[in-house]
Amino acid sequence: MPAISNFLTRRGAALLATSRIWRATLGLAGEVVVAAVSPAVYNSATRTVVMKQIYFTAVQILVPFTLFAALLSFVLIQIVVGTAANYGLSDYALEMVVRLLVLEVLPLVTALFVALRSGSAINTEVALMRIHNEIEALEDSGVDTLRLEFMPRVIGGMLSVLSLTAITSVLALVLAYLAVYGWQPWSLPDFSRVMGQVFDGAILTSIWLKSLAFGLAVTVIPVAEGLATPKMLFMAPISVLRGMVRLFFVLMFIEVASLAFKYI
Amino acid sequence: MERASLSASPPPPPRAPLIKNLEFKIGLLLALTVLLGAAFIGYALYARGAFQVSHTLVLTAEDVEGVSVGMPISFSGFPIGKVRRLHLMDDGKVRIELAIPREDARWLRQSSVFTLEKAIVGGARIKAHTTNLQDAALEDGAVRPLITGDATKDIPVLIEKVKSILANVDNMTAAGAPINQTLGHVETVTGRMAGDYGLLQGVMGSPEKADKVVKALDRANTLLTSLNGVSLKVDGVLGKADTRLFGQDGVMDQAQQSVAKVNALLGDVRESLKKADAILANAQTASKDVTKITGNVAEATTDMARLRLEIDDSVRKVNHLINEINKKWPFARDVEIKTP
Amino acid sequence: MPLRANLSALDNIALIPQYRHNLDYAAASSLAWNLLLLAGQDGAALKRDPQLNPVERFVAKLLRAAIERPPIILIDRPALLLPDTHYPPYLSNLLERLSDHLNDCWILDYRWNEPLYPLPLPRPLALR
Repeated sequence: MPAISNFLTRRGAALLATSRIWRATLGLAGEVVVAAVSPAVYNSATRTVVMKQIYFTAVQILVPFTLFAALLSFVLIQIVVGTAANYGLSDYALEMVVRLLVLEVLPLVTALFVALRSGSAINTEVALMRIHNEIEALEDSGVDTLRLEFMPRVIGGMLSVLSLTAITSVLALVLAYLAVYGWQPWSLPDFSRVMGQVFDGAILTSIWLKSLAFGLAVTVIPVAEGLATPKMLFMAPISVLRGMVRLFFVLMFIEVASLAFKYI
Repeated sequence: MERASLSASPPPPPRAPLIKNLEFKIGLLLALTVLLGAAFIGYALYARGAFQVSHTLVLTAEDVEGVSVGMPISFSGFPIGKVRRLHLMDDGKVRIELAIPREDARWLRQSSVFTLEKAIVGGARIKAHTTNLQDAALEDGAVRPLITGDATKDIPVLIEKVKSILANVDNMTAAGAPINQTLGHVETVTGRMAGDYGLLQGVMGSPEKADKVVKALDRANTLLTSLNGVSLKVDGVLGKADTRLFGQDGVMDQAQQSVAKVNALLGDVRESLKKADAILANAQTASKDVTKITGNVAEATTDMARLRLEIDDSVRKVNHLINEINKKWPFARDVEIKTP
Repeated sequence: MPLRANLSALDNIALIPQYRHNLDYAAASSLAWNLLLLAGQDGAALKRDPQLNPVERFVAKLLRAAIERPPIILIDRPALLLPDTHYPPYLSNLLERLSDHLNDCWILDYRWNEPLYPLPLPRPLALR
């Protein structure tokens, strides 16, 4: 009997901890968004930090990531166009390519990339700051950690996801045009017709919402997980691990939800 | 006060910060992102025809299964507009509103006919047919009936036909089907014909049997020559001993018996040669058929042509054989084996 | 408190007036630059945290504290922040140079380190 009650207590505690961290994540997301859109938050220091953060999370990786995305897009486009031609479905190749790449693969790959590069770094930084009591120290000296430490990171990550998604998607569209119609401009009306079929209002909205959600998740979850780290140094790697796993599931959940929204 | 004195001190702060052109780079990134996003939305709107001045065309139909909003209407295979709206009217008919961009509206005339075609694979298609492009232009908001040409209606009939054809093909290709057996026979016969004894083997069924026939013929030939010799001798003997041996119980009686035996033997030989002849006649007709078949096939394949040459060769051999027999055997008919 | 890893030492020092008084970057960075010059560490201005050596890092942290002219600055166990340095003379020299920008500075150190400091003690030194 005590074993069972013990077990139940532990399960309950774990459940509460999980729900607490989700609540903290959502709360933080709300606070950050509110802070990011209120002009009063931006002073000279915040601007400097935000700009540096954008530079390090978005500008620095722009060229290599764009090259990689171009390669990935090129290969996938070739596969889809080739397969479609084999089955006599060339008419649908372009639509398939656009739906596959621009709507699904590229936003997800971008989010995963930024998660791996910046998300894990943010999680580690915040966890270490928390373990070393630096967050409390900052708060004690009257610094608003939300607007000086967390919001810049979230903005940088979000902008990174949005801009990389936009740039790689447009690049993929250009590549798709070239792969399907070749190096000539006369098929633009055809191309536009297919684009018009694919991108209706709902799809456009869902891409934007999805990219925004990806950007928010990629940074808010690591920050929240870092803030929830117990103050023991050996918990830092565990915190990063948990943050990354949670981030992965959230990204997948957003992806599945957007698919369900579009096709069901 | 304090700060004023500080900023007055001579060395200026470095104007080369950690990252060159930080502001510019970030500005560029932001501008690029916003520009791409806005341009893309603009392009999507353009692609959806938001900036196009379009004419409205209304089509009415009994049944619009397969028609969806956004579906193109094509003219000569080119999309010239798309379905904007579908709704059911009070009388149970369906009203299809199409948006036709103004520059494409010139393809539609008063006499234009609109059809809905449902293909077996892929969705339905709305097509516009205009025979007289000199006709008056179709006005904006015109209402026209949509004629449904349903390809799927013909499918059951088509499938029945296909089924019977398939059944025939099935019968033909099934194991034990007549054509299969025929082909199998042809194969064995031609296979044998390709052997050492050619057509004869083909008719007789195996090289051994053909060998036997040839040997039998050879033996018959030798027998005939020796019989000739024997009968000459017998004649001579008879001539010499004509008077002397013509008595009862004399040599003559025995000789007569032996001659009778020789005659019987000759009869047997004749019978057997007749049989051989019959066989050869059969072979003739058979080879005619075979060559007819192979002749047809030869038109299609070069291999068959080679086979045919072999058969011709075999037939020639048989002809030769028959000629040989003819030379030696006077009662042979005028036998001729030809390939068509 | 650590320096921000993605900012240079100069930016780290300048960030404080930027944050506290919303001073624009040019003014703030020129303030920070002057302090670095005074401390004789202007070579470290454009280095980021991982590239700084312990002395440079110590100076950056001290200047970040000093730029706001707080009433008191407490240096707790300087040996921890300045390994491989004979720190008492270096420290007294540094504090002398910056004396115009410091109100009150206390050094907290172990009593057994007292002989290391030159006499007379330039600044209040709390020993224990």
